[in-house]
Amino acid sequence: MGKSLMIVDDSATMRKIIMRTVRMSGLEFDRTEEAGSGVEALQKLEGGPVDVILCDINMPEMNGTELVKKARELASCSGTKIVMVSTESAQDLIDQVMSDGADGYITKPFTPEKFQEKLAPLLN
Amino acid sequence: MITTMSLRDSLLDSAKEVFETMAFMALEEVHEDQEAPGLENETLLGTITFKGDLEGCLAICCGCHCARTIGANMLGADPDEPMSDDEMSDAIGEVANMVMGALKARVQDEVGTMEVSIPSVVRGRELRNSLGDRASKITVTVNLEEEHSVQFSLLYRESGD
Repeated sequence: MGKSLMIVDDSATMRKIIMRTVRMSGLEFDRTEEAGSGVEALQKLEGGPVDVILCDINMPEMNGTELVKKARELASCSGTKIVMVSTESAQDLIDQVMSDGADGYITKPFTPEKFQEKLAPLLN
Repeated sequence: MITTMSLRDSLLDSAKEVFETMAFMALEEVHEDQEAPGLENETLLGTITFKGDLEGCLAICCGCHCARTIGANMLGADPDEPMSDDEMSDAIGEVANMVMGALKARVQDEVGTMEVSIPSVVRGRELRNSLGDRASKITVTVNLEEEHSVQFSLLYRESGD
């Protein structure tokens, strides 16, 4: 069975950009979905897991770090790889979100090569 | 404290990084003695504010046609395809967000904590940001793909001023 991907970002434009960058990186997913907020993402995850989540940090209602913690509480997400995609680059923030359960971190702006570098090892 | 020249260089480098990486567009600074395409009559102004030891706002200002081109490039779409006002604003807001993030990464060791807001975008004519008389201002005008003019500005002051 192919891999599934969820993109979580409050910007519709950024979700499309990330989708395009994933395609350009050569990574293949059989199913992709989007969520405009951490709340929407959690609702969708409660309905079924995904293999990979690409998630912004600064979002209204529920930010990315809160989503990571709540997703890790779901039994269905035990195997889900969560990679943060954010403009934030402070090392203490990155360390914190990784200790909260994220599997990787990509800073914006990003390239298809960066997506390949960070995601390919998590998919294999 | 960081110098104006250092902030200016970091702002320009950040803008170049974002445009080259995300929009695949070449960006060249326009110097005072050079001619540049003027800003269109109707412009978008994307602003993002920051606070900490240094407080202020970063803004990107460009014409609507330019914004449409930037958005289309970021999305890999045809620039002649219709783009809604919301999509244009969203694209410019994201550019402001990423330029601010790249700038912050370059200067945070020198300026300390910088808490950044979410971006806001307005559309109109003769749009300007202001932070009062005590703020310092850096303006960088760039030529985008030899066709469009984009203006970046950074208004800032030390907190407590």
